[in-house]
Amino acid sequence: MAYVITSPRVGTVGDVYEPADGVNIDALIEGGFIKSTSKSTKSDKPSKDTNEE
Amino acid sequence: MATSTYLSNPVVTINSVDMTDQCTSAVFTRLIESLESTAFGQTNRSYVGGLENSTLTVTMYNSFAVSETYATLKTLIGTQVTVKIKPTSAATSATNPESQLVGAYLESLPIVNGQLGALDTIDITFTGGAYSVAIA
Repeated sequence: MAYVITSPRVGTVGDVYEPADGVNIDALIEGGFIKSTSKSTKSDKPSKDTNEE
Repeated sequence: MATSTYLSNPVVTINSVDMTDQCTSAVFTRLIESLESTAFGQTNRSYVGGLENSTLTVTMYNSFAVSETYATLKTLIGTQVTVKIKPTSAATSATNPESQLVGAYLESLPIVNGQLGALDTIDITFTGGAYSVAIA
């Protein structure tokens, strides 16, 4: 999993973030300091309801 | 008598986030718990070192803005985290060592500390974890 810095409080914005030991990645993502570069595998489209009456 | 003003400027990093510009006080204390080893026949108490239980206590302005205090701390309560502090913003060196606690525990987080006519500040303490110091 790769991460990119999105806040200058963590480093240079746009740089790859290399987590050190003991870092809470989830907290950094939720706080808006970094973001994951991996794309979601789930489709953004809502599933179609085929059970039409 | 010492009369010079000491311009303290430590760098405080919490979970990789530089929170220096929100801190007004930071105290890093190494503590090795003492275990009494006094035995019969001795005329004084004696102790040996036990487990390390160091702490970092910081006073911070409380801000709910993006990428500020609340955003940094809200998900850290009840978890272990890495905290770092060094005396000045200069490069880490033997004369500006960076102390860190890996796996320090944040037990409590004040959400609001409001007082009439005063800025909202909070005191938080990180306890325990493995201590190390970097000089480069």
